[in-house]
Amino acid sequence: MDNSAVLWLELAVGVVVSFTLLGIFIWAVKSGQFDDSKKAMDGLLFDSPEDLQAAYDKEQKIKKLKQKKTQ
Amino acid sequence: MQVSCSHCGLEFDESVMITEPDNEELYFCCNGCQGVYHLLKDDGLDSFYEKKGNNTLSQPLAIDKDSSNFDKESFFQRYVKTTHEGFNRVDLIIEGIHCAACIWLNEKVLDQTDGIVEASINFTNNKAKVVWDNDIIKLSQIIDKIRSIGYNAYPYDKTENEIKATKNQRDYFLRMSIAIFSSMNIMMIDIAKYTGFFTGMKQNTVELIHIAEFIFSTPVLLYSGWIFFRGAYFGLKNKIINMDFLVSSGATLTYIYSLYVLFGGVGHSYFDSVTMIITFVLVGKFLEVKGKKNAMDTMDTIKANIPLEATIIKDGVKKVVLLDEIEVGDIIEVRAGEKASVDGEVISGSASFDESSLTGESIPVYKTIGSKIYSGTINTDQVIRYKALKDYANSTLNNIVELLEESLNSKPKIEDTTNELSKYFSITILSLALASFIGWYFYNGNFENALIIAISVIVIACPCALALATPIASLVGVSWLSKEGLLFKEAKFIETFAKITTVVFDKTGTITQGKLKVINSSLDLNDDQLNILYSLTSSSTHPVSVSVKDYLEQNYKNLKELELQNIKQISAKGLEAQYNNQNIFGGRDDEQSDYTTFIFKIDDKLLAKFELEDSIKDEAYKVIEELKQQNIKTIICSGDNTNVVKNIANQIGIEQYYGNMSPKDKADFISKLKNDKQTVIMVGDGINDSLALSRADISIAMGNGADVAIAISDIVILNDKLNGITKSLYISKRTFGFIKQNLTISLIYNLITIPIALLGYVIPLVAALSMSLSSLLVVGNSMRINNHKFDKEK
Repeated sequence: MDNSAVLWLELAVGVVVSFTLLGIFIWAVKSGQFDDSKKAMDGLLFDSPEDLQAAYDKEQKIKKLKQKKTQ
Repeated sequence: MQVSCSHCGLEFDESVMITEPDNEELYFCCNGCQGVYHLLKDDGLDSFYEKKGNNTLSQPLAIDKDSSNFDKESFFQRYVKTTHEGFNRVDLIIEGIHCAACIWLNEKVLDQTDGIVEASINFTNNKAKVVWDNDIIKLSQIIDKIRSIGYNAYPYDKTENEIKATKNQRDYFLRMSIAIFSSMNIMMIDIAKYTGFFTGMKQNTVELIHIAEFIFSTPVLLYSGWIFFRGAYFGLKNKIINMDFLVSSGATLTYIYSLYVLFGGVGHSYFDSVTMIITFVLVGKFLEVKGKKNAMDTMDTIKANIPLEATIIKDGVKKVVLLDEIEVGDIIEVRAGEKASVDGEVISGSASFDESSLTGESIPVYKTIGSKIYSGTINTDQVIRYKALKDYANSTLNNIVELLEESLNSKPKIEDTTNELSKYFSITILSLALASFIGWYFYNGNFENALIIAISVIVIACPCALALATPIASLVGVSWLSKEGLLFKEAKFIETFAKITTVVFDKTGTITQGKLKVINSSLDLNDDQLNILYSLTSSSTHPVSVSVKDYLEQNYKNLKELELQNIKQISAKGLEAQYNNQNIFGGRDDEQSDYTTFIFKIDDKLLAKFELEDSIKDEAYKVIEELKQQNIKTIICSGDNTNVVKNIANQIGIEQYYGNMSPKDKADFISKLKNDKQTVIMVGDGINDSLALSRADISIAMGNGADVAIAISDIVILNDKLNGITKSLYISKRTFGFIKQNLTISLIYNLITIPIALLGYVIPLVAALSMSLSSLLVVGNSMRINNHKFDKEK
């Protein structure tokens, strides 16, 4: 493979990766995850295993409440 | 020794702290902090303190108000919506949020509460969305829960406008992010491109670089830059050539020219210029949109001042009604702590009203039969009844809210020099390009050659130097200002500031400290009596009592707090108490005086008298003198009485002053000055100034002012020092001078390069060098702006 071909390959991979990440970012912005700029900046501070567990428990709680309401 | 409170982190002397016998390491500054600390510990939420780190909180809000209002029908009608699953939803503003840990704590506590389906709080604007099941928990219980951990919550009405503003901000954020992402990539590619350009690079590598730049610049032009096309279209529709037109036409033609080069044409591509220009201008636009959204968020805080309902007396029976149901002539009852709902006149009782939201004055105003009551003001002591003179829609508070909303939407756009210049510049360049195309086509009959020369003229002339001339200089100016504690919300205010002719000041909190100070005193007291006076003033939070207490602490040593009995607040008079069978009184003197007075009596014998005045800020004298030296007119507009305003104005040398002005009077006065072709700056700090602030060419708020004033103002003086005005003026004038220099540099550059382009001599090397050189000149020149040390200059 000559140098030029390597460059083309790099360009293609680079573009695909960049645009995939960009796509994820667009989805995150559109779903309102960046509306609160301050919270987004501090988000990392609250990502401990306990916080993740709490988030899971919250999901379960919401599920139960919704089920109860529809019954 | 100073120790910090184990809950809020505020530091106090160890001797005044609450300690616990079983844990000597714990210190609390008040019972509230102690209560919240143990509550969190018991609920397993003590990791809050780890998350809080070194941040300090304010002491927990002690709210003893009944929350049952939140369960009323009228509240539900106005604020509560039903979700499609059948849950209830309310939008709240949470008071007392300081850091991310506060958000975490509130969300955590609510999430752990049974019956709450969702609770999410926005840290940027402290607004919360709460969804709950009303069969399991009542809204009042949710509010009590928030209050129990030291915060407060009040509802707000989420309007269509807010939803639209959030969507708009999201849209601009996405466009800007994509532009920044692409620009950063193109800048990296550019390093290879320009290195290769001067050291030699294979043609196929150059093509590869062009393709990469094409991929990154296309979304920037077509997606991020879309708003400029839209702006240019609406401008043309209204027969205005604006900056959007310059940006969009310059970027598009540069893009088309670069496409031509990419697909086999001769020359040098400028995809990088396309992205840079759009990104640069877009960042400024995003900040503008964000600023507007912030102002809208703060408006909701004012609206929360509007009471939900009022108690009216009809045929001798009390009835709670919604505000819209109040009619002119209705008799309304206002109890202590409640807000007046509509404007009216007192018919029975007397009480002190806190009118600070309207007048900015912190001392409550005494109201008796015949006195006027204004909506939104708070009754601080006794029950009164008054007759409604206006309905809710025409009352003061609603008027202010409506006028503010109107001003936010229609704040006049400042026509800046670059915008004006770009209008003529765009027309000239486009005409020259068209003329060169026609000229070359008729001269040599070669369509492609004629087109390339025409586009070269535009590419060479349009994007860089002129578009950079103002933003770069402004950026340097604004960052210098921010280092001095002067927050300019938009760079374009620099130009207007440099051209001001009149400065209008509010009095309280702007020219004066907003705090009363004892200026005269006559005391005939022994040590015991002095301690009684000290204890009496310590028992009240009224501004006059606090000032007298401060005065005693500063002038007397070894003061002791005694246990007074039967301390009573007498409506609009002062305080009464008993000590060792002696009757004690401290309060207002009935004799007329130019000052606020405080007298102290034991068993009706006058023992001390104090005269108090709001003190003028130290730097005020110098600031007024400096403004006068620069031929800038200075005026005071205040809600306080004219005599007090006159006194202050005379002391600092301001000839024009107005007292007894309502918020609307102030705003109308600003409009009148503007009609007289004055460029007006309004400096204020309260809600009562916000309407006038919104009307001025430039509005300045003091950093410790009301949230609304800060949100609406264009400039915030963070350290509250009045000399921020003269500093801003100096920096703005200097920056504006450099903007003019930059524009001159860019015009000279264009005068030299455009004829070369017109003659068809623009070879890629010349284009690349001249474009970079012109930008470097403008950037380099702008870097000289903050070359001056401010203190030396002054």
